Amino acid sequence: MNYTKQIQEIAAKLFAEGKIDVFVGYRMNGFDDNQVPVLITGPQEVSRLVFTDKSVFNLVNYLKTDHTRRKRVGLVVKGCDSRSLNLMLTESQVKRENLYVVGICCEGVVDDAGRKMQNCTECMVPDAVVSDELLGTPSNIGLQPYAVNPDIAVLAEKPLPERAAYFEEVFENCIRCNACRHSCPLCYCAKCCIDQETATLYNGANTTSGAFHALMTWSLHLAGRCVDCRNCEKACPSHLPLHLLHKQNESVIYENFQEHLAGVIPGDRGAFYKYSMQDPDDFIM
Amino acid sequence: MSVETFVTDKAGLHKFYEAVMASRETYAPVEKFGKFDFKRVTRLTECDPESPIATTQSIKPLFFPRSAKVMKYLATSAGTEVSEVDEDPLAVKRVILGAKHCDARSLQVLDKVYNWDYIDTDYQKRRENTVIISTRCDQAGTHCFCTSLDYDVENLDAMDVVIVNGADGKIYIKARTPKGENFLTELNTEYRILNIESQMSEEDKYGEMKKQYESFTGSFRLKMDYKEVNAKLSKIFDTPEFENVSGNCVSCNTCAFVCPTCHCFKISDEKVKDTGVRYKSYDSCNNGYFTLMAGGHNPRPVKYRRWRQRAMHKFVYYKERFGENLCVGCGKCTIACPVNISIFEVVNQVSSAAMQE
Repeated sequence: MNYTKQIQEIAAKLFAEGKIDVFVGYRMNGFDDNQVPVLITGPQEVSRLVFTDKSVFNLVNYLKTDHTRRKRVGLVVKGCDSRSLNLMLTESQVKRENLYVVGICCEGVVDDAGRKMQNCTECMVPDAVVSDELLGTPSNIGLQPYAVNPDIAVLAEKPLPERAAYFEEVFENCIRCNACRHSCPLCYCAKCCIDQETATLYNGANTTSGAFHALMTWSLHLAGRCVDCRNCEKACPSHLPLHLLHKQNESVIYENFQEHLAGVIPGDRGAFYKYSMQDPDDFIM
Repeated sequence: MSVETFVTDKAGLHKFYEAVMASRETYAPVEKFGKFDFKRVTRLTECDPESPIATTQSIKPLFFPRSAKVMKYLATSAGTEVSEVDEDPLAVKRVILGAKHCDARSLQVLDKVYNWDYIDTDYQKRRENTVIISTRCDQAGTHCFCTSLDYDVENLDAMDVVIVNGADGKIYIKARTPKGENFLTELNTEYRILNIESQMSEEDKYGEMKKQYESFTGSFRLKMDYKEVNAKLSKIFDTPEFENVSGNCVSCNTCAFVCPTCHCFKISDEKVKDTGVRYKSYDSCNNGYFTLMAGGHNPRPVKYRRWRQRAMHKFVYYKERFGENLCVGCGKCTIACPVNISIFEVVNQVSSAAMQE
C-alpha cells in the first residue's frame, strides 16, 4: 500500500486550483521509518507528503484544531478514519463543502514493530465511506460478521476479582495526561466535563480514582460512537490497553442495538442518539 | 577521605543491587504494559535497573508526585477546620536505582526553583533522604541530546553514586557526593561490596571510565549549540515559525507530564459532604485551559502561543533567571508525544528560520 505519488499529485492540483487552504496528510518523522501528521499550507511543501502502511494516525482529529477551523481542508482518510469523519459530519462539527476528502481503500496499517495493528486484523470497513476521490481497489467485502475482540473474550473468562485487579493496575499506571482524549477525533467538546475545575462531580486530582473517573466517563461518552481507530491507544505514553474499554462497549451495543456500528452509514446517528422500537427496554420495568 | 572506586563484575553488581534493596527502601524501573517506570521494589527479579529502554517518566514523580495531598479540611456551617495530612510516604530514607544521568541532573535544575522564592519543605525532605544511584548509558537513544546542553555529563555530581560499564568489561562503582560516600561505606561494612581489582590505581579506573564516556559521546545523533539557541530564541518572540512547528500538536499534556524538569501544578479539591482533601497535581502549559482566567480571557488561546511559551521557558526565561536551561536533553517528551514533536527540532528549526529572515 503506497499512495505517496497520487496524494502528492492530488494535493498539488488542489492548491493549484485554489480549492483548499490547508492539506492534512502524513510525512516521515525524520528519524526512523515511522510517520507523523503534517498540515501543509502551500504547494511548495507538497513533496513532504507520504502514504504507506505506516500512516497510522487518524487525521480527522485535526478538523477540530485552530489550524483548520473555518478553512477549506483537504485530508486523507482510511476506512476507520472515514467513519469518524462521518460522525463529525452527522454531529455538525464540520461542513462537508469545506472538505476535500481523499479516501483510501485500506489494506491495514502496521505498528512501530512492523506488525499489523490488531484493529486492522478485525476491520469490518476497510474502504473509506466518505470521499471525493477513492484511491486503491475497493474490497467490496460488505459488512463482515462481527467477532468479539479476543482480548475482551480472554478477560471475560476471568473471575471478577482478577478482572478488577487488572483494571486497577491499568488505572494506576495512567498519568492523566489526557493524550487519549486529545488524540480522539470524536472528543471535540470545547470544554470537557472532566476538566471542570469547580464541579466536584469529577475528581480533578491526578490520582488513581481520578484516572478511573476520567477514563470511564470518556469511554462511556464514546460508547456507540467509537470507530476503533486506536488513536488513543497509540497516543498513550504508558501503553495502556484502552481499546478494552471501547471494544467492550462496542460489543454490548452491537448485540443490543440492532447491530449498530458507528459511522458506517452516512447520516446515521450514534446508538444512543436515536430511538428505535427494537431498543432493549427490559431494564425499565 | 574519599571512598575508593569499587571495581566489580556482573555477579558482584547484582549482589550490590540486592544489598541496596536489603538495606533501604528501593525504587527501580519496573515493566508494566511494555513500558518502564520507577516503582517500589523489594527483589531484583521484579525490576531491571539496567534497562536500556528509557522509562516513560523520569524520577521526578518520586520528588514531585503526580498528585500530592496538601491539606485536609472539615467545612461545616460552624466554620472550617484545617488539618495536616498524613505522613509523606516519599520522605523516608530510600535509594533510587537505575536512574539515568539526565534524570539525576533534572533534580539539580529543579532545586533552583524549589529553593527560590518559597522553600518547598516536602521536596527538601525527599531530596535529603534519597540516595540516587545512576547507571551511565552506553549508547545514546534516538532522541537524546544531553551532551549538547549546559552540564558536564561525564563528571556530573547530581547522582550520589555512579555505575559505569567500563570499556574493559569491568563495572566501576564510584561515589560522587559525600552522601554517596557515606552510603557506600555503610553498605560496604554491612554487606561487603565485591572488589575484584584491589591493586588498580584510581587514575587507571578513571581512565577506563573516560574511555567508556568517549564511546558514549560518539553515539549521539542529535547535536546542537545551546548558547546559540539561547541567544537566537531570546530575540525572536514574534516569529511566525512557531505556527509551523506546532501545526500537528494535539494540545495534550503528555510532554509536560513526562518531562523531568517541568514543574507547573494545579490545585484541586476532592470533597465528600463536609470533609475534603486538597491536592496538588501536575499541570501543563500546552493545555488550552492553563492560562484561562476567571473572566473568560485567555492570553494563550492558540497552539503556537502555548508552544512558544514552552520553548521560551525552557531555553530563555529559566536561563535568564536561574542560569540554566530547563531541559536536560532526555528526549522523553518526543518518545511520549502522540505525534513525535521534538523540542530539539522545535528550538533549532525556529531559531535557524528566524535567522534567515
